[in-house]
Amino acid sequence: MCRAPKRRGAASSASLPLTGLSMLRSRRLTIEVRQRVPTWLRALIVLGALIVGLAICVGLLLGRGVELGSIYDEFVVFTFFQAAGISTVIVQSTPLVLVGLSAALAFRVNYWNIGIEGQFFMGVVGATLISIFDVGPESIRLVLMLAMALLFGGAWALPSAVLKIRLNVSEVITTLLFSYIAYYFVLNQVYGPWKDPKDKFPHSPQFDASEQLPLIGWQQVHYGIVVAGAAVVFVWWLVERSRFGIQSRFVGSSPRMALPIGLPVALITAASAVLSGSMAGAAGFVMATATEFRLTPAMAAGYGFSGIVIAFLAGNRPVATLIVAFLMGGLYVAGESMKVFYNLPDALVGLIQAIIVLSVTASEFFVRYRLRMAHYRGA
Amino acid sequence: MDFITFWLASMPLFSVPLVVAALGLILNERAGVLNLGCEGIMLCSALAAAAAYIEFGNSTALGLIIAIIAGAVVGFGFGFFVVVLRTNQVVTGITVVFLGSGLTGLIGVPWTNVALGGLQPIRIPGLTDVPIIGRFLFGQDPVVYITILLVAAVWYFLYRTRRGLELRAVGENPQAADADGVNVEGYRLLSATVGGAFIGLAGGYLALGSAKIFVFDMTQGRGWIAVALVIFARWMPWRALAGGLLFGGIEAIIPRIKALGLPIPQYFLEMAPYAVTLFVLIYAALRLRAGQDAPKALGMPYVRQDRR
Amino acid sequence: MTAALELEGVHKSFDGNPALVDAHFAASWGEVHALLGENGAGKSTLMNVACGLYAPDNGSLKVDGKAVAVEGPLAARALGIGMVHQHFKLVAGMTVAENIVLGHGRGTYRQSLKHVREEIAEIGGRIGFTIDPDARIDELSVSEQQRVEIVKAMVGGAKILILDEPTAVLTDEESASLLGQLRRLAAEGACIVVITHKLREVFAFADRVTVMRGGRTVEAGRPPSAYTPEQLSAIMVGEAREYEAIERVTSGTMTLELTGLMTRRDSGAVALDGLSLGLRAGEVYGLAGVGGNGQAELAEVLMGIRVPEEGALLLDGARIAYAQPRTLRRSRIAYIPAERYLYGLAGDLSVMENFVISHLEGGDYGLWGWVDRRAIARKTTEAIETYNILGARVATNARLLSGGNAQKLVLARELSGEPRVLLAHSPTRGLDVRACAAVHRALREAGRRGAAVLLISEDLDEVLSVSDRIGVINRGRIVGEFSAPGDRQEIGRLMVGHA
Repeated sequence: MCRAPKRRGAASSASLPLTGLSMLRSRRLTIEVRQRVPTWLRALIVLGALIVGLAICVGLLLGRGVELGSIYDEFVVFTFFQAAGISTVIVQSTPLVLVGLSAALAFRVNYWNIGIEGQFFMGVVGATLISIFDVGPESIRLVLMLAMALLFGGAWALPSAVLKIRLNVSEVITTLLFSYIAYYFVLNQVYGPWKDPKDKFPHSPQFDASEQLPLIGWQQVHYGIVVAGAAVVFVWWLVERSRFGIQSRFVGSSPRMALPIGLPVALITAASAVLSGSMAGAAGFVMATATEFRLTPAMAAGYGFSGIVIAFLAGNRPVATLIVAFLMGGLYVAGESMKVFYNLPDALVGLIQAIIVLSVTASEFFVRYRLRMAHYRGA
Repeated sequence: MDFITFWLASMPLFSVPLVVAALGLILNERAGVLNLGCEGIMLCSALAAAAAYIEFGNSTALGLIIAIIAGAVVGFGFGFFVVVLRTNQVVTGITVVFLGSGLTGLIGVPWTNVALGGLQPIRIPGLTDVPIIGRFLFGQDPVVYITILLVAAVWYFLYRTRRGLELRAVGENPQAADADGVNVEGYRLLSATVGGAFIGLAGGYLALGSAKIFVFDMTQGRGWIAVALVIFARWMPWRALAGGLLFGGIEAIIPRIKALGLPIPQYFLEMAPYAVTLFVLIYAALRLRAGQDAPKALGMPYVRQDRR
Repeated sequence: MTAALELEGVHKSFDGNPALVDAHFAASWGEVHALLGENGAGKSTLMNVACGLYAPDNGSLKVDGKAVAVEGPLAARALGIGMVHQHFKLVAGMTVAENIVLGHGRGTYRQSLKHVREEIAEIGGRIGFTIDPDARIDELSVSEQQRVEIVKAMVGGAKILILDEPTAVLTDEESASLLGQLRRLAAEGACIVVITHKLREVFAFADRVTVMRGGRTVEAGRPPSAYTPEQLSAIMVGEAREYEAIERVTSGTMTLELTGLMTRRDSGAVALDGLSLGLRAGEVYGLAGVGGNGQAELAEVLMGIRVPEEGALLLDGARIAYAQPRTLRRSRIAYIPAERYLYGLAGDLSVMENFVISHLEGGDYGLWGWVDRRAIARKTTEAIETYNILGARVATNARLLSGGNAQKLVLARELSGEPRVLLAHSPTRGLDVRACAAVHRALREAGRRGAAVLLISEDLDEVLSVSDRIGVINRGRIVGEFSAPGDRQEIGRLMVGHA
């Protein structure tokens, strides 16, 4: 060890000169974990991120030839300040609330249910079964369909949960694979045994009058809002007021402690996954019985990611989910009319969502960490 | 026999995107970066390849190069988010997937649904005509052979070079690597970029080699299958090749079976790759105790002064 | 002798919490310099600054009299500073040679391996180590891994070698051997800094000693002969430790019996080697031992997160299936874990939720899944008062509580279930004197209420002052048992001897 001191450090170019963080010679920019995060700071940062994200989106739209005044009219005025607009937004938001709750229920216990669309489809499949086979008296047909949707949605989510719990297989991949399988199953049905005999299109026969959710009487709003509202109340109770809520919060925030403290972690995870699937199934039920009136392959498009975005922005909290879903519904509605008017593609809304999520998630860096300058004297 | 010949001959078309994407993911994950945005990167680079091919004189080479660059750029962007800003890798990855879908839908219209000439298979007189395996072994387009070289190159890099050693250390124990002066952030960012480039090549090949067209959302879950493939391959390049052949074989057999006219419902056939992926994942978990072989720091952001 | 390593005026805080306040340190060439202090005194933090892992907020560093800036580990290495950390920074899945190539390769991969092999052989020969370059790290014993760390530092050309608590995981023989080797290196001219909290080592091996306390340097660089052990101990601790006289309990019914427990670490090495002990109701059983002899694994078995390969747990004579922590918790086996924020508290959740989490099942707070929040808030407030948990209201985030108060919260929760068995694993780690006393009082009280208490601690004074019975763990077995107060010399001998 005490031979002639060779300056090996400089010669061993073992590191790449890529990180800009140590380029300053006697000062160094470092990052540090923040121990305490004041709520006002977090709120401010998220707000800032949202503004940045929205600004980028507006920029994108302007670049495509949309006029600023038009954006204001569509996104703000028509959507939220006119009865027809609000009604459309409510109708659009109803299934969004449910997929948002679906994602939130799973993500809060760190179970990444990405296969929401598959569970959505299976929910519709369940409801369609009732319709096609005319099961039960007409007066309770809708209730039966809802029950089947919940059952099928939850059941479709169960195998992935079991695989994760027993074999530690990543649920990110398995829920997604099940989603693709569900999609192809639906295609198989609508091109085959369930093809509508009346118009020969690849969708199921239209639901009877007793199988359609009635309107409540104001504008276009339908009884789906009862389902969504009940879901919000139920999830709120579950998360805030039940034993399961506290226990699952532990599982989500301190997974390593949950098991030794005696919590039934496997059960809580599985239950969250199944409930998540059921919510997605309920979303499918609402879409099927209130908007589409049948099973059709295009009906789930985008709901999976939307659910994830809503849950993420709402911090997995039920009431916030309701609010964010409503705003997201506004985005959808405004986006629809702009699409038509300015010939923008379908993928626009998904793109806007992605930009907002990236802005918010990037801002978490500033919430969690703090940048410091370190400096040496006498260098 | 014709059935087998055609099946084998078409297999690499389906295997190459999976294998190349898996190589990119192996580079990512060996450094500890979980790249769930693979699907999105593949889609963006598929469009880039198609666009370059159409706009710049039908050149497949240029198309592939542009695809690689596109993949590297998106990979770098993803890497910036998860490595420098330390965002949640799952959320960011999934967002990249939908970002890819949205972006390609938004700007890709002029190049969508346009038939492309694409890559052509080679012919070696004598060898290519060998029965059954002739076209499989000697009648493929150049990228297929390059893929084999890439597998060997990645293996060599990981296990026979110092940089590869450092990369692996970053994924296994970033604290140890950091204490040795290895630039953890740098390696992760670089691996996200280079991995993205590989995935870009996979996407480009998808457009110019396999399908010879760009269609909206054309990746159809192949990115996710590549992610599963890496787990099945236990993060080792040669196993990824084997797994890619398996999945490619299944994908390749679907049109063959359809052509035979057997009474198998079409959509159940389409389901097959996904169902097989599921079984493969279960198998890997049961027999090989996956997770034991995973790079230990996979998916976890690294901060030097982590306290508590 | 010129100063080899000099640190002056170093300040460092982590997000507002000061860890080093105007700390200074100077060590010379050719000496073994002990850096002494209790857990949390700042010794490791200061040395981490020296080797480039932490950037100080302020301060200067000189090597061999010249001021330098250490921007990172590579820069430190270039200056000849090498550190062997307490938690080894080795990549488990790679071989010894690969690990050393990682930091110190030259040329290509193949060339580097060859070069490293030669260096290992040469250095090993000089100091008396033998290491197999192709062994995988996770197949080596702890002391072998430590040797790898030392060789690694030396291959890197370290002339200033800093070791952080090197003997914490070694047996007495291995410790003496190591310290002897370090003396030889110092004799060759190197500067050796040994971070330790063991007085015995300071007096036996150090040329000079620096004491740190609370982030400050309180004694700098005098030879150990300038102090008596009592003086040095007092300087280290700051306040004389006084333990209340306690009533000793002698016997009670056997509540929990552990028989023949055998379990392995992930590396395959045996952690518990046929360990048997019995915990009696109303008695505090203190388990003394040097860290790393199986205490952590024993705690994990009692928490239910590690299943022993052999052996049994008998509660009231009947065997429990220990696969599920739920079974253990339902049998009212409570624990105060060593790692407070890993197993003890959920930092992001409120005081209330942390307090009540173990008691929701029994219908204590509501039936049918409904939870009576008012009752919980009330009980939590009572607990806060009873245990004098400062800085806590029912809705405060657990992470915001200071160490002592966080521990009191854990105590409050665990004791509120009237446990039959209570495991306390290093319960006073990082706590100040007053919080320590409170914890000890609570443990004795638990015993008085009929629990069988198992105290696992590396602090012999703590064990001796709180326990009714004392056991010594060494290499995964109980090697001796004593009734309090016990023969301190004998206990010490059993702790460091070979089992």
